[in-house]
Amino acid sequence: MSRLEIRKLTKLYGTHPAVQSFDLDVAEREFVSLLGPSGCGKTTTLRCVAGLEIPTSGRISLGDREVTRLPPEHRNVGMVFQNYALFPHMTVAENIGFGLKMRGVRGAEARRRVDAAIDMVHLGGLQDRHPRQLSGGQQQRVALARALMGEPALLLLDEPLANLDAKLRDEMRVFIRSIQQQIGISALYVTHDQAEAMTMSDRIVVMFGGSIQQIGSPRDIYYRPATREVANFVGQSNCIAGKVVARQDARVLVETAVGVVRCEGRADVALGATGQVMLRPETIRLARAGGELAGRVTQQHFLGNVIDTRVALADGTIISVQTIGEEAHGVGDDVSVVIDESRAWLMP
Amino acid sequence: MADAVTGNSTDHSVSLRRGLLAAPALLLVVLFIAAPYLSIVVMSVRSPSNLQVYGPGFTLQSYIRILGDRLYLGLLADTLIYAAVTAAVCLVLAYPTALHLARTRSRFRGLLYGALLSPLLTGVVIRCFGWIVLLASQGLVNDSLRAIGIGPVQFLYKPVGVIIAMVHVFLPFMVLPIINAIESIDPRLEEAASTLGASRMAVFRHVILPLSMPGVQSGVTLVFVLAASAYVIPMLLGGGRVQTMATVVVQQLLGGFLWPFGAALALVLSLAVVLVLVVFALATGRAMRRLS
Repeated sequence: MSRLEIRKLTKLYGTHPAVQSFDLDVAEREFVSLLGPSGCGKTTTLRCVAGLEIPTSGRISLGDREVTRLPPEHRNVGMVFQNYALFPHMTVAENIGFGLKMRGVRGAEARRRVDAAIDMVHLGGLQDRHPRQLSGGQQQRVALARALMGEPALLLLDEPLANLDAKLRDEMRVFIRSIQQQIGISALYVTHDQAEAMTMSDRIVVMFGGSIQQIGSPRDIYYRPATREVANFVGQSNCIAGKVVARQDARVLVETAVGVVRCEGRADVALGATGQVMLRPETIRLARAGGELAGRVTQQHFLGNVIDTRVALADGTIISVQTIGEEAHGVGDDVSVVIDESRAWLMP
Repeated sequence: MADAVTGNSTDHSVSLRRGLLAAPALLLVVLFIAAPYLSIVVMSVRSPSNLQVYGPGFTLQSYIRILGDRLYLGLLADTLIYAAVTAAVCLVLAYPTALHLARTRSRFRGLLYGALLSPLLTGVVIRCFGWIVLLASQGLVNDSLRAIGIGPVQFLYKPVGVIIAMVHVFLPFMVLPIINAIESIDPRLEEAASTLGASRMAVFRHVILPLSMPGVQSGVTLVFVLAASAYVIPMLLGGGRVQTMATVVVQQLLGGFLWPFGAALALVLSLAVVLVLVVFALATGRAMRRLS
């Protein structure tokens, strides 16, 4: 019964709404990320779930229990903080065992469970160290073990990787995800890093200005963003404005200034509706001139793993194209732009 | 070789420059701490004289007299006990105050801070006279006690009156370091503890209290030192009937004109205070080491 249910959650600070009418369900064993820029209300939402903030209105349930106004110590949620919040005056083992001690588990039973947790996060031999004697990654793992110790109904993580360097961050996101799956706990993860949200989550909630923009799988969020803001926040995107002129099979035909483009769109999109055709730079191919969409290469940058080519379309719109391998076209070449229709998406 | 020489001379000039940077601080320490102490030490081993400040030659006579006399050892014990009681009472009163002030989000926070520090704006003599008025047998305190059927209690010219006034005067010196220590505790630690199932009481016991120990330690040290060396308060509220080392030292110097003996008494008090503080530091040291 570790399902989280949030209904119409609103949190006001004074008159400023930090979170507005937020609805979300997290299923058993599901990993859901709250993704958005700083100040979008994602941390406030998480803190309301933890019980560290009391919502202005709305309902939060854990399993079949309503917890909206319950203090944190009675909620049985594990939380990992951005700065880890390890107790500086306690050893690794004491930090990890703190939750057990608070629940009255003592002696051999407590020791056995703490040892198991220390093994789980690969910190064997460090149990008598103090937090200040550990590296950032080790502190992170202590925080994770501590949060999971009391077998919580839900794991909450507030930007836990923000203070780690890039390489360690990659390692830790795989680590956190694998532990979450191993234990089979539901997790709510707050981040402003889209790559983190993409790699770890079953579903992503994109938030701006206190409200939900879109909820979907990482693929949905990336290839079928609900709005232009979502598209821009999650990776790079090209947009071409146009008007829906026809529907063909599952695709829509959009008339743009540079010609008619076939793309994916929502099933309920109306004929005559205006919108933006969103193209991810790596879903576009460049071919010899003579195709449907003509353009000219204006700039080219070598980024290491990919080559970023800027192409000016007939109406002057500049789009970014990312390809792997050799630069087949140089600056000034006339090219034609080939779109992967299944990856082109019409946004309102 | 030439390089080495240049290197040396550079090192030398760097250390010289560093020495110059430290000079003002060093001067201050020598002028205001080392020199006065040294002069007291020298004075304490002078031989007494009836005609001059001190006689010719050096002697340990003053120390022998202090350490061999129950009167002075009893006086020393009384002084340390008054100071310890003052520090303990201050701690009990200051901790909840500091906890509240450090964590309050009230917009009157500044005002509360001001109220806490306001006694420092009045001279200690004035405050002592204030307490004399309050604690007198016909004073406000005794009138109130009589109204509820207790007393009259003799506060004035008794250790209890001296301690009450010392607690009042030195309380800010206990509150401020504790506020500082509590404010420096990351509020996330308290949140983390509560998500781990700790009640407010358990959060206090396992997180706030141990992490605020450095503040408690410096507050206790400050108040103890100030109370052990207080002169005006025992003088005025003790009215000559409560004697402490400080009042007796002044009697020796001004009344008896016994400068070497007074100096020795003052040093014995200083050493005893240092000794008590070392024991206190060792006793609380385990908790502190885990934090540092």
